[in-house]
Amino acid sequence: MKLVSRSLLAVVISLFLLSAAATPASSAGFKMGFVFSMTGGAAVYGASQKEGASLVVEQINAAAGSGLQIVAIFEDDASVPQQGTNVFNKLINGDKVDMIIGPTLSNTAKITDPIAQKAGVPVLAVSNTISGITEIGDYIFRDSLTENVVIPHTVKIAKGKLGLKKVALLYGNDDAMTKATYEVFKKVLQSSGIQITSEQTFAKGDRDFSPQLTQIKAQNPDAIICGALAEEASGIISQARQLGIPKTVRIIGGNGFNSPGLIKNAGDAAEGVIVGAAWNISSTAPLNVKFVNDYTKKFNRAPDQFAAQAYAGVQIAYQAAKASGGGSDRKTLRDALAKIKNLDTVLGRFSFTEGRDADHAGIVQEIKGGKFVVLGN
Amino acid sequence: MNLLLQQLINGLFIGSVYGLFAVGYTLVFGVLDMLNLAHAAIFTLGGLIALWLVENAGFSIWLAFPLTTVVAGVLGLLLNQVAFAPLRKRSDSQFSGLISSIAMAIIFEAAALGLFGARSVRFPVGTVAVHAWQIGGITITSLQVGIVCVAALLMVILTLFIGRTRTGKAIRAVGESERTATVLGINVNGIIAFTFFVSSALGGAAGILFGLYFNNLTPDMGRSIELKGLAVIILGGMGSIPGAILGGLAFGLSEVLTVAISGTSNLRDAVAFGVLFAILLIRPSGLLGRGKTREA
Amino acid sequence: MDYLLQFYAIYGSVINFIGINALLGLSLNVTLAAGMLSLGNAAFAGLGGYTAGILSLHYKLPYAVSLAGGACTAGIVALIIGLPVLRLRGVFLAMATLAFGEVVRLAAVNLNITGGAEGLTGIPQATTTWTIYLVLAGAAYFIAVLRRSRLGWGLMSMREDETAAGSLGIHITYYKVVAFVVGAMLAGLAGGLYAHLNYLITPRDFGFFIAVDLLTYNIVGGIGVWYGPILGAATLTALPEVLRGVGVTAGPIRMGINGLILLLVILFLPNGLASLFSGKRSAAVKAATG
Repeated sequence: MKLVSRSLLAVVISLFLLSAAATPASSAGFKMGFVFSMTGGAAVYGASQKEGASLVVEQINAAAGSGLQIVAIFEDDASVPQQGTNVFNKLINGDKVDMIIGPTLSNTAKITDPIAQKAGVPVLAVSNTISGITEIGDYIFRDSLTENVVIPHTVKIAKGKLGLKKVALLYGNDDAMTKATYEVFKKVLQSSGIQITSEQTFAKGDRDFSPQLTQIKAQNPDAIICGALAEEASGIISQARQLGIPKTVRIIGGNGFNSPGLIKNAGDAAEGVIVGAAWNISSTAPLNVKFVNDYTKKFNRAPDQFAAQAYAGVQIAYQAAKASGGGSDRKTLRDALAKIKNLDTVLGRFSFTEGRDADHAGIVQEIKGGKFVVLGN
Repeated sequence: MNLLLQQLINGLFIGSVYGLFAVGYTLVFGVLDMLNLAHAAIFTLGGLIALWLVENAGFSIWLAFPLTTVVAGVLGLLLNQVAFAPLRKRSDSQFSGLISSIAMAIIFEAAALGLFGARSVRFPVGTVAVHAWQIGGITITSLQVGIVCVAALLMVILTLFIGRTRTGKAIRAVGESERTATVLGINVNGIIAFTFFVSSALGGAAGILFGLYFNNLTPDMGRSIELKGLAVIILGGMGSIPGAILGGLAFGLSEVLTVAISGTSNLRDAVAFGVLFAILLIRPSGLLGRGKTREA
Repeated sequence: MDYLLQFYAIYGSVINFIGINALLGLSLNVTLAAGMLSLGNAAFAGLGGYTAGILSLHYKLPYAVSLAGGACTAGIVALIIGLPVLRLRGVFLAMATLAFGEVVRLAAVNLNITGGAEGLTGIPQATTTWTIYLVLAGAAYFIAVLRRSRLGWGLMSMREDETAAGSLGIHITYYKVVAFVVGAMLAGLAGGLYAHLNYLITPRDFGFFIAVDLLTYNIVGGIGVWYGPILGAATLTALPEVLRGVGVTAGPIRMGINGLILLLVILFLPNGLASLFSGKRSAAVKAATG
């Protein structure tokens, strides 16, 4: 018995050591590491991101033929920083990737990105929307439009079209992104002279919003401003209508709302919901139309903003790799990234700002007839 | 006034779902003196399986509901066979049973994740026809009423069953003392298996109702209710079915009112667990419970 | 040598986490060995971690002082809630400590001083692998000595049968409180180390699921010996990486394997993996299987 168990242990340990030793032979090509949350709380978003990314990698490689190929390594950070750290270390030191795309959650990024910065590996965030990410260092880039850019535009358009005078605020206070949404909304609302009737919060994973919504209903606001991710958003929207809050009281959300999954889950209740976002699914730009069609054909559902930003991220990265001779030198790759200007992507024409953030205007959408349409320009 | 009334209705509604869920927990505890932490995972699987039947097999919810409830019960039998029965002869069976239920919970959740994916899903629109009634300034939906009725019905049936039928009496006997029950000729193992069946069936039913109302089913949806369920049965008294029902309602009400008053849902849980903590210190047997709760 | 450096570069963080998880597992072992199903150690680690973090960050105290501060805070809180709570038995104690854990976590989410839901950021990164393993070695030694001491024997006899132990003159409540406080302080220390490892500590790091994890380390590794929790922590922390190495990525399979391991251990190896090495199998299992 002892012999069996001891040898079993030896086998396990050697497997472990072997996996470290087996650093893959450096294959020619542009090596990209993708860190998405495939399990845990953010799995819903990670799944979209992986689909978007794998689609574009497939397409680019097919088109490139004997040219520069992308070698994609997908890893799961389980929505926790601990795993994110492990994965970043593995990708940087073990697989020796040229750059990393991700991680899904801003909270994780705050811990993992400094690792990449220190090691001189470029990181392109495709879903982090809080402040303090690109400030980590000059190797950190982002193509996901922050709430700081999206929301002022949203409020301006909504106020103009709807004549808002007083609104209620409802947001998730245990997630960096929804909290950022709330903070920016509050600032903008106050400077626009719109009165806030109350501020209510909820936590991630909550399903019952009737207490908060009942209070809000009694306050008779012109609109409900919501900082939530798609999961909670669909619940909030359905329950608001179920409680009898009329459709004339619009529900307005930020980046988190920009998901066809929301329309599917909230059903009819989603009519009239206003979404400030970075990506317009119904844009007629040819690249976007092709993306939406290809994605829908391959995965049997329409893409959401997470998929779109991941897709664009790879487009941007590949462009930089081509411009820097294959991307194998991380420093020249970083410089090439910084120089990206007016690149045609599914997000529209894309450039980086001085601070390596996404430089394009946000859009304001409305859900009409079960689809996202542009509310104003 | 309307506001308060509406909140009370909200609370009663969610409370009845909690009660249904907690009843399953307390049933197993009453009989086996053991916490089945896989109950929440069966809750989740109940909701997801019913969804699958409605969406992919085209069943109507009226058929899917009882069918899934039975399937959940069978899962409970499986749970008992694999994780609890082998451990019953051990001296530390309470503890090891707890651990193996945790292990099974992880396995069930992994199965849910593997079979249904991480995305949140909902019952197709039109699964249940929903009418909203506006009485005064208060809104009640037919779905809410339906869910409360089904939950109440199940709980009444269970209480009558335990109180009046022979099997019910046998269950209570085994709960009192396994040895005496054996002497009396009761098939203890069979009764225990049956208890698991009923408990898990109820848990699965609660999952379906929960899924129908909130329309947000994920593989980890059991987690949010798991801790609450435990708190409910402690509040109501471990092993007492009326206690679980009362506890569920009380819990639902306190949750809703806390959120309504404070405007945030964070305090809600803090209040709930604070109360739970206080109860454990002052009167661990809960509102209606019995059973040895202290050592010294 | 080069190979070792390479190994460390990839797996350094895993090695660190193994060390911290082992320390946390050990802290729970003290109470488990006495038969107390306390699930509050994750919360104590959180208390210790946040305190240490706040001391370092806001009061700019030296690292060692912050760590000590964290451990002491955890110990004091344990003393305060221990006295009333430890009278409860089995499952009720578990529930009470879980409830306590949730209250601590929710406090961390809601208070400003703890940075709210995003946690405390900007903590100086002072923990190194050496620090962790030095502390772990010290703790393991301490536990080993404790087991052989009079206190240790008292605790273990309480696990067997509390009433009998009491009648033998063992001062039950006193021993229970001591075990509880010692465990809490170790957990608080681990929390402090963790806080200084990655600049950041968040409420999610110390919730209900972590508490369950700590329990799992002990069960899988074995409660009866001092190296049990270390073995359990090492195995379960390294498992995702090993699985990754053989191509099993995260997802339902990895989760399922975690559950399966726990199930197999509790069914067939109730004294944990450690019993494989010491050849001891639980008398209870032997009796049941004949």
